[in-house]
Amino acid sequence: MPEEKWPMANPMLKGVRVTALVHVWAGPWAGAVLSDMGAEVIRVESHQRLDPSRGRAPFEAGKPGVNRSIVWNMHNRGMKSCTVNLKQPRGVELFRELVRKSDVVIDNLAPRVLPGLGLDYAALKAIKPDIIMVSLPGFGSAGPDRDYISYASTVASVGGLLDSFGYPGGEPALMGVHPPDPIGGMWGVVCALAALNHRSRTGRGQHLDLAQTEATTALLPEVIMEYSMNGRIRPRMGNRDEIMAPHGCYPCSGEDKWVAIAVRSHEEWDALRRIMEYPPWSDDEKFSDQYRRWQNQDLLNKHIAGWTRNFTHYEVMQKLQDSGIAAGAVLNIEELLNDPHVRERQVFFEQQHADAGKTLAYRPPWASALTKANPPAPCLGEHNGYVYKELLGLSDSAYDQLVDDKIIY
Amino acid sequence: MFNRLLDGIKVLELGNLVSGPFCAKILADLGAEVIKIEIPEHGDDARRNEPFLNDIPGLERSGLFLYLNMNKRGVTLNLETATGKEIFARLLRHTNVLVANVCSRRMEELGITYSAIRKINPGVVMTSITPFGLTGPYRHFGSTELINVSMGALAYASTREVGVDQEPLKMPAKFFSFQAGLSAAAATLGALYKQSISATGEHIDVSEQESIVQNLDPHLVAYRSQQQIVSRTDRLSRAPFHILRCKDGYIYNAFSEEKEWRKFVQVMGQPDWADSELFKDYASRAEYWDALKPLIEDWTMQFSMEEIYRMSQENGAPVGAVYTAKELLTDRQMAARGFFVELEHQVCGKLTYPGVPYVSSEATGAQPTAAPVLGQDNEEIYCRRLGYTRADLSKFAEAGII
Repeated sequence: MPEEKWPMANPMLKGVRVTALVHVWAGPWAGAVLSDMGAEVIRVESHQRLDPSRGRAPFEAGKPGVNRSIVWNMHNRGMKSCTVNLKQPRGVELFRELVRKSDVVIDNLAPRVLPGLGLDYAALKAIKPDIIMVSLPGFGSAGPDRDYISYASTVASVGGLLDSFGYPGGEPALMGVHPPDPIGGMWGVVCALAALNHRSRTGRGQHLDLAQTEATTALLPEVIMEYSMNGRIRPRMGNRDEIMAPHGCYPCSGEDKWVAIAVRSHEEWDALRRIMEYPPWSDDEKFSDQYRRWQNQDLLNKHIAGWTRNFTHYEVMQKLQDSGIAAGAVLNIEELLNDPHVRERQVFFEQQHADAGKTLAYRPPWASALTKANPPAPCLGEHNGYVYKELLGLSDSAYDQLVDDKIIY
Repeated sequence: MFNRLLDGIKVLELGNLVSGPFCAKILADLGAEVIKIEIPEHGDDARRNEPFLNDIPGLERSGLFLYLNMNKRGVTLNLETATGKEIFARLLRHTNVLVANVCSRRMEELGITYSAIRKINPGVVMTSITPFGLTGPYRHFGSTELINVSMGALAYASTREVGVDQEPLKMPAKFFSFQAGLSAAAATLGALYKQSISATGEHIDVSEQESIVQNLDPHLVAYRSQQQIVSRTDRLSRAPFHILRCKDGYIYNAFSEEKEWRKFVQVMGQPDWADSELFKDYASRAEYWDALKPLIEDWTMQFSMEEIYRMSQENGAPVGAVYTAKELLTDRQMAARGFFVELEHQVCGKLTYPGVPYVSSEATGAQPTAAPVLGQDNEEIYCRRLGYTRADLSKFAEAGII
């Protein structure tokens, strides 16, 4: 696995500084992506209120520690870490000094936290008039439900993703993954960069407040439009498409191996028949045009499965793609990490970490000369010296006093 | 709320279906001027996608197309013709960014590559979105949403607690194609920022398969720590982390902390069974979930999802109501933020759409516009802006240029 090298010569966000008051996943992912794009991202943490993810098992090499959580290190790579006790007025003052030196402040805390500390947008604007603030609460920073507790699961339910997920005729299905989190994070990047572009032209900052529920609904318009146009609830469709058939996952040789096939046109159907060597069932008038294939897809799928079972999933994928049919092996995580295309594209890499040894990371989903993964995740408070002495100009003795007083804590 | 944060930015879109058009829509919603170029007569394939208004199909009646292409100008242009290429070059000269999700072979055939367009506009940003990226052995593979989530290792472990014969399950609609478009918009905005500072451009190569990887953390963590391959047959290790039936639908009880379960038990009125040793912690509850589930549902089946959602959240239990579109469109929180918007369209009339998920303190109350009918802005762009005459337009149409 390649080791990532840094720094970049000429990144997209050269000279941009982001202060991040974030936790768990959505906020940190926004920070990691901004860091990959060349911004300096400083996570503000505290011993007295640790990000729950820092203590989340499993740990690298099975050894517990606040710098060793696999998931924390994956989400927080590229950022710097400083600690400050925001329960103390002097701590809040230090944070305000950091804001003065920042272009963007990003947070995914519960909506009452920052205003409760006297650090809402109006306060930040008074410190630095062109500051850009991006908030990523679950439901929004204002409104009757703003204090509701939100996890990715609540966002997925209230955002409408869960209801239309499941096998046909079945109940809503368990997701097992949490897409609202990285989606919220990427929307956070969009907001921060839209505001930076705006500031570039006008000199003005702003507050952008994203609701994670809405951020999920915005990716599911079919659900809304089915109802707003035709008064219907979109049914759970499993792997069925509105009109493509064959369309689904078909079993291949081996244990739990499948291939996904999506036949997009009559020409592709003809090509598939040829590849299957024109089995007699494929002559049946039940399958003679796209509409009929769609109507009879359950029977069609049984027949296709009878054919795919004879081959590995990679074999079916290659045969079909060679003839211009959309097909893809259903990869498990191990297969993905070892896939030749993914390896050539250098999507995953390992980083050398001061405490955790080697950590795993993946880059954002684009290749560009102006984006490259930055250093590994920081140890707790690793950059206190840099932030307080270099950036904020504290003397050694002032710094030491603040550490003793548990302000830098 | 719509605003004009990207006022002055010009975008050209060669988009089809979801990922390219959604990337461009995000920019359009932020106030950039987006000119969407469509094939004459044929248009974007999304025009042929359900849902159709009143179930009557038509190029101007697709809810998917209408949502994806609001706030854009639309022109038709045949890029295979010499005149079409000339017009395209003229449009390119004054654009900040070209967004395209056309496959690379086709782009090369049309002569629209990054090195070619840089000759016309040296500082242009080009955002290419393809299923597998522009390099690598799969770069010319055809794909759809189903193929992407399968090749992205998401479908394999989707869903949970089912038999190994149950096929891997894709998630609804084109959710992850949208996520790819969102990611492309983020990268594009970064490149635009750099362009605003240094007048230099960049070619961004977005892969839809790689976009899926953003969602894989639980699988990566399990594999990294124990070489464990998470699969559909896995039972959840904690409970409740499950979907439960209620009177009018479902709720999702995903409790990460013991105290959250305790709060929910209180909301249920402290039933005696909750004190059982079998249910003492999340692992135990997971082991005995088959016994626990019906006990909880005895209570939840008495109430609507709305009632349980409100009662629980107001008492500190993070329950989610499994909203359908009906509840979404009347949700009080989304209404308070003005999330849904009504737009008037030439053919479909007034319809309600999801709006933008952010609220800006710089909001200037910009009025959103409905998606363009096919070729709607041909006159505006070709005549008023590029100086062709109406007579030219007639000839262009007759010659299949537009």
